[in-house]
Amino acid sequence: MAGEPRMSAVPGGEFTALAQDRRFHLLRTRFRRLAVTIVASFLGWYFLYIALSAFARDFMARPAFGHINMALLLGVLQFVSTFVLAWRYTRYARRMLDPLSAQLRDEAARRQVEREHVEQVMAERRRIENWTRG
Amino acid sequence: MQGDGRFLTFGLFLVFILITLGITVWARVNTRDADDFYAGGRGFSGPQNGLALAGDYMSAASFLGIAGIIALSGYDGFLYSIGFLVAWLLTLLLVELMRNAGRFTMADVLSYRARRQPMVRTAAAISTVTVSVFYLLAQMVGAGALVSLLLGIHPGETFMGLSAGAAKVLTIIVVGLMMVFYVTYGGMKGTTWVQIIKAVLLMTGTVVLTLLVLGRFGFNVSDMLGAAAEASGRSADFLQPGLKYGREIEGDPLRTLINKLDFISLAVALVLGTAGLPHIVSRFFTVPDARTARTSVNWAIGLVGVFYLMTLALGFGATAVVGQKAIAAQDPAGNTAALQLAHALGEFAGGPIGGDILLAFIGAVAFATILAVVSGLVLASSTSLAHDYFGHVLMLGRPRESQEVAVARFAAFLVGALAVVLAVVVRNLNVAFLVALAFAMAASANLPAIVLSLFWRRFNSAGVVAGIYGGLIGSLVLMALSPVVSGKIDPVTGASLSLLPAGVDFHLFPLENPGLVSIPFGFLCAVAGTLLSSEKADQERYDELSVRSLTGTGSHRAAHRRPGKRK
Repeated sequence: MAGEPRMSAVPGGEFTALAQDRRFHLLRTRFRRLAVTIVASFLGWYFLYIALSAFARDFMARPAFGHINMALLLGVLQFVSTFVLAWRYTRYARRMLDPLSAQLRDEAARRQVEREHVEQVMAERRRIENWTRG
Repeated sequence: MQGDGRFLTFGLFLVFILITLGITVWARVNTRDADDFYAGGRGFSGPQNGLALAGDYMSAASFLGIAGIIALSGYDGFLYSIGFLVAWLLTLLLVELMRNAGRFTMADVLSYRARRQPMVRTAAAISTVTVSVFYLLAQMVGAGALVSLLLGIHPGETFMGLSAGAAKVLTIIVVGLMMVFYVTYGGMKGTTWVQIIKAVLLMTGTVVLTLLVLGRFGFNVSDMLGAAAEASGRSADFLQPGLKYGREIEGDPLRTLINKLDFISLAVALVLGTAGLPHIVSRFFTVPDARTARTSVNWAIGLVGVFYLMTLALGFGATAVVGQKAIAAQDPAGNTAALQLAHALGEFAGGPIGGDILLAFIGAVAFATILAVVSGLVLASSTSLAHDYFGHVLMLGRPRESQEVAVARFAAFLVGALAVVLAVVVRNLNVAFLVALAFAMAASANLPAIVLSLFWRRFNSAGVVAGIYGGLIGSLVLMALSPVVSGKIDPVTGASLSLLPAGVDFHLFPLENPGLVSIPFGFLCAVAGTLLSSEKADQERYDELSVRSLTGTGSHRAAHRRPGKRK
């Protein structure tokens, strides 16, 4: 991206304006809160499980039902919790993040189109002025 | 693995190779620019890319390796399955941000706000290539051993005029040629389709085996576990943690503690490494937008989860149906457990012919798995060498895209040649630890740089570079000084269990996996590098990165719908 970033599709000013936007702050806060919650819950639960495997062997050896012991049961629950967290994240993102980010993105794109239109008109005007003058 | 079955196996290999070659040639015709070569034209759908992500991720090490560990050491093998899956939640949180911020590689994200681009790009390229080559080496050495096992060539025997040793070398070379061909010819488009086919094959094979094995126990999981525990001769202990990892040594509390820390270290590396694996990251960019990227990771989570859950049935099933003695006789590491299980189940369902057919099918699946994973790795490293190092460091971001792609093709050839030569040199050594090491390196070097780039306002170029080199060198040095390289002796036979022969011992670091120390060290270096440097972070670019990563404003879209394409 070196060389190209300073002339990205939307000029720097546009990003700065968006970064100040109240809705963007809301979006960022929501994402960060969500990310922290998910990371804390899955890492906490995973390391609890690892710690139990390492240091609470007697507990893990307890039969849950049939030949299925606590270790296997909790291990399978890690799978279940992963699926549930992925689903929760996706649902939250669809409801609370996507609409906001789409709104901000579309507005930026619209402004970009307007700006291009204005530039086009200005260029046309300059061309006509040059032509009449010449 | 005797008799005519091996010809069937060989025939299925050839069918897979021919089909994938056809696809690669098709992809070559449809690859026009850098977006096509590096990112498959960003045209893949969520489910397609999800299958390809799963295909890139589920290596032969996890298919054959985990089944083998479970078959021989019981429950402990399942810990790999759990770590490999849970790690995807971190990927899910990062994928959209990285898709929005980057273009082709991890370095695109890291250098977005860095003032000193060449330094950052170089570090990222070095890290990408190092992690990939280590991972590649493990897969290729495994491929050599696997194919000679699959074709049933035992020491002293020959198949089509090849001895076991020659078959190993030849396999490594053929795998090397194939992966270089896939990448140079097919680019990301071809490689992605190879991954998709491989993922479908692998899922099908695993589901068939799982249903057959569970069917033998009346679909009662508890009965299967009971039978496995009984067959192992260790009764209930076989179903509990502690036979392989975190072993408790009586009368030696220090050794016990070290074993347990080693186990935790492995668990940390597995869960934090995935989001930094180069071949996974490069797949974030093959979809049109961030939402599709999220969908594809969700697909991958579903597929990977179902797959790793089934490793329980494969592993414990192999113990119950085949027996540990027969497995260990074929391969002491247990890598053939899933194949032997396939043979036994096929025989049970359809006589000797059934056994040969199922074995040949699962063997071909394993071969496809290896080929697909190594191609993904070669593509990721050649993309980084061409786009990051050649394009942005040597040529200061001004090469024509066609030049960059030509360099990428050449780089794929170089990386492939390097991997083949290294793999042939170390082909008889036990390099299985390299997979876990690659995860540890990805977590120590890449993860701190990615996370801090996205979320820490003060983070700067010096921090990125310090974090990457610190994590990379830290994990390499710790590995070199660990028992996997020297000084691990079998207490009974006195033979060396390390890379180097018995008698050489310079190990200073007690843990086999460096993750527990090297990952915090990587983060520490990244933070210290930032704070110690006088460089001021580019606030405007950080705002831009935040806006872009969260909203997708200005992100790289598929060519036909990219607004305001650059000149």
